[in-house]
Amino acid sequence: MTTSHLRPRRLAFLALSLVAVLVILTVRLYDLQIVRGAYFREQAEQNRVLRLPVMADRGVILDRNRHVLARNIPGFVVSVIPIDVPASREADLVLRLSQLVGREPLAVRSAIQAQRIRNPYEPIRVSLKPVERDIALLLAERRENYPGVRIDPESLRDYTDGVLYAPIVGYIGPISEDEYATRRDTGYLPDDDIGRTGVERVYERYLRGTYGARQIERDATQREIKTLALLPAQPGGNVVLTLDDRLQKLLAAELDRGLAADQFSQAVGIAMNPQNGEILAMVSTPSYNNNLFARGITSAELGALLADDRHPLVNKAIGEIYAPGSTFKLVTGLAALNEGAATRNTVVNVTQNFISVGPYRFFDWRAHGPLDFVGGFANSSDIYFYTLAGGHPVTGQRGVGPEAIAQYGRMLGFGAPTGIDLPGEAAGIMPDPVWKEEVFDESWTIGNTYQEAIGQGFVSVTPLQLLNAYAAVANGGTLYRPHVLRQVLDDRGNVTVTKQPEVIRKIAIAPDNLQLLRESARRVVTIGHASMPNARLPIAGKTGTAEFGPSQGKDSAGRELLGFHNWFVSYVPKADNTDPTAEIAMVIFTFNSSKNLCELCLNPAVAITQRIYEAYLVGDR
Amino acid sequence: MIGRPLVLRPAGRTFADRPSLALLARADPFLLVATLLLIGYGLVMTYSSSAEGSAADPWGSVARAAVFAAIGLTLMFAVAFLDHSWLGSMAPLVYLVTLALLAVVLLVGETVLGGQRWVAVAGQKLQVSEFAKVLMIVVLARWFADRRDSIGSPLVLAGAAALLAPAVYLVYRQPDLGTSLVFVALFFGMAFMAGARLWQLTALIAGGMASFPVLWSLMRDYQRARLVAFLDPQSDPQGTGWNILQSLIAVGSGQATGKGLTAGTQSPLGYLPIADSDFVFASLAEDLGFLGAMLLFALYLVLLLAALRIAYRSRDAFGSLFAAGVVSMLGFQVVVNVGMAISLMPVTGIPLPFISRGGSSLLSICLALGVLQSIAMRRDPG
Repeated sequence: MTTSHLRPRRLAFLALSLVAVLVILTVRLYDLQIVRGAYFREQAEQNRVLRLPVMADRGVILDRNRHVLARNIPGFVVSVIPIDVPASREADLVLRLSQLVGREPLAVRSAIQAQRIRNPYEPIRVSLKPVERDIALLLAERRENYPGVRIDPESLRDYTDGVLYAPIVGYIGPISEDEYATRRDTGYLPDDDIGRTGVERVYERYLRGTYGARQIERDATQREIKTLALLPAQPGGNVVLTLDDRLQKLLAAELDRGLAADQFSQAVGIAMNPQNGEILAMVSTPSYNNNLFARGITSAELGALLADDRHPLVNKAIGEIYAPGSTFKLVTGLAALNEGAATRNTVVNVTQNFISVGPYRFFDWRAHGPLDFVGGFANSSDIYFYTLAGGHPVTGQRGVGPEAIAQYGRMLGFGAPTGIDLPGEAAGIMPDPVWKEEVFDESWTIGNTYQEAIGQGFVSVTPLQLLNAYAAVANGGTLYRPHVLRQVLDDRGNVTVTKQPEVIRKIAIAPDNLQLLRESARRVVTIGHASMPNARLPIAGKTGTAEFGPSQGKDSAGRELLGFHNWFVSYVPKADNTDPTAEIAMVIFTFNSSKNLCELCLNPAVAITQRIYEAYLVGDR
Repeated sequence: MIGRPLVLRPAGRTFADRPSLALLARADPFLLVATLLLIGYGLVMTYSSSAEGSAADPWGSVARAAVFAAIGLTLMFAVAFLDHSWLGSMAPLVYLVTLALLAVVLLVGETVLGGQRWVAVAGQKLQVSEFAKVLMIVVLARWFADRRDSIGSPLVLAGAAALLAPAVYLVYRQPDLGTSLVFVALFFGMAFMAGARLWQLTALIAGGMASFPVLWSLMRDYQRARLVAFLDPQSDPQGTGWNILQSLIAVGSGQATGKGLTAGTQSPLGYLPIADSDFVFASLAEDLGFLGAMLLFALYLVLLLAALRIAYRSRDAFGSLFAAGVVSMLGFQVVVNVGMAISLMPVTGIPLPFISRGGSSLLSICLALGVLQSIAMRRDPG
């Protein structure tokens, strides 16, 4: 062969070009497969394997007799895996989804975009409320129209008697960005629910359970191919409360009846066992429906609750403070007795219905005549307790003084949260001269002492504090920490946690003095001051009427503000004696229940208390 | 249209030589061995991707591909015994038939993946554009062979371009951008080897680039999107960049020795699109790794260099240019297909010779290689 039909140099060039191009491809392949091979291998795994959380069933909440207060019912959750949503289709998807799940498109969009930044491979929930089966089916069938959308069955929190138990049970809601940041290491998911208030919040650690994980192999359309690994979830513990549904409902029915009869506009009722601090019932009304929150409350619904000046979202049993009125004579009396300023035989002769200090007059509700301690307490004589607290301007009797009253008040739990296992507890105010100096920059007057003596001064208490103080007297001198947790059960019903009674402190008051108080409290009922016709139980207690807040205008419900509020705090000993045997104590507080300060005016709390005790303890026997 | 008649055939020879061992002994062994190994490699990959896919019976796909391979090899040998000069003399007819076939496809072809590329012949779907590529090599080889003396004239180049233009247009209308580009590659490769002036070729390329904005405006949306995605695959990882990114993941995850045949995950789970055709290289690289890719490259190199040797040793200019055309075609397809899988080229639907599934591609290549062997066997002794 001598000559080719082709130019050798061009032939060589073509051959070299082929070699060169293959070398370039080889270099690139070397980079992809050898240098960065491990990285791409991982990417392929990430494509293939998705780690999905396996939700643990949240524990249910039960009353002490295992009556269900909070449970889980099935629903569907719609979530989106951002990496699988093409940017070009996101806007369209957001629009379609937001209509189906009933949210603002903007909110859905920002949820997806936030998750895109966080971890685009993990699903983010876009439905606030559980969606109906119809919508879930639609989404599942039109998969091609909803790229990256997942439908999963979901447990939906359901509160039986939501309004009745909301102040105690609380509710769950979506975890916030900040909470997630601090809790992600403990297994929380960005679209998780978390106990937001009440028992749901306080006992989140028991109720939540431990989430499991499922590694699934999936194809490019997000269909599951198979489960590669499964770490089962540990269901949450079932929380048994100390509450008794029967008593709770008796209490609520009585308060509702009073509300319906327009006897008052708000009310609180708490019952507890003085021997261990167990809360047996706790009603705060008006309340709210916690199911609204669990299912995603609308801003209109929330706005209405927030605008209501009766504060339905506040558990008034622990979260609001009120003047205790005459119920506070317990503290004044115990301080005077235990400090030696009075005995059971200390007599004050109430000859007229006021005493004068300088230009000021301090009134009693009538001229009682001579009263000893029991008589003074039973008749709720203001002048008797003015005298025990600040002395008598005419007879020269000496009072125990405001410092001692404050000291005994604090000893009995006033001025500090009880530490009940519920969120949002107020401390109350237990003032003394130093406190007044600090807060008002004014010195304490004898008038302050007199007002303090009858619970009408600066002293402010939560209904629970007041109940707990009386419970300590009823049980012979132990201040227990009130609590609503009784037990935690695992999913097979075994008790894993048992709440033990917790003593805040032993009351440093002589047993005789406590017994004298119990005698006096029983006399309140027996002499008819707290009138209980046909009483079937040896109820002991103390009435109170307190004046605070406006007495003109109307509240959110359109009811006249009266400015006077009634208390009855009580307990029932085992027998009609002064032994510290009571296993039930109760406080009823009615808001806006009278027009003036008058101890003989109808105190609705007394009759309510009698009916509840008798229905609960005696029934139809 | 083709110009003056040409007598390529020396007197005393017939077009169809009687098959003889002497003739067969002159066949190019490198080309033959590389061809057989590549066909075998293709069958292996057919099995692997069928098994990875949802095919109930991967062996069924292999059997179908094996039938095509057998037909292809038979055709290859049959064509080898035909004198390629005959093919050259038929060029005008070949040209008209090619255009007619492409026109027919456009009118009655079946739609697959948005393109009208297929016509049914005897129950088998044939992709006419695959054959058109080889046929256009025949036409261009004849055109340039006839004009070796006037190759310096721009008119020769312009004439070749004019011949090609209708075919390019018809294929592009299917729409099949990939095959249109193969035509363009053929044109440049053959013109270069025919001895066209470099400045003329350069000017043509420059002109083509200058007209890019016009082409851009003529492109369909998905074609533009592919181009944009090629330039920035991360721009939308779930949209148009998806294919490119998933292909890169498939290739890279193969690492040195691959995940093993049928053990790839990217294509069976649907991340790798068209894993047995356009993205077959990604699937191969995932299964067999860097080593598998190197083996493939080595076989291609042997094949293409053997073809170039045939071009060099051809007894006539038509044979040389035909061989050069085949090298241009196969080389371009390999580079573009592999380059696409590893994101060095934009995504275009060009099959990987021997490896991509598709009987038409294999048959047309076998025909072309048969012609190459014919050229080899009839080379001047010495």
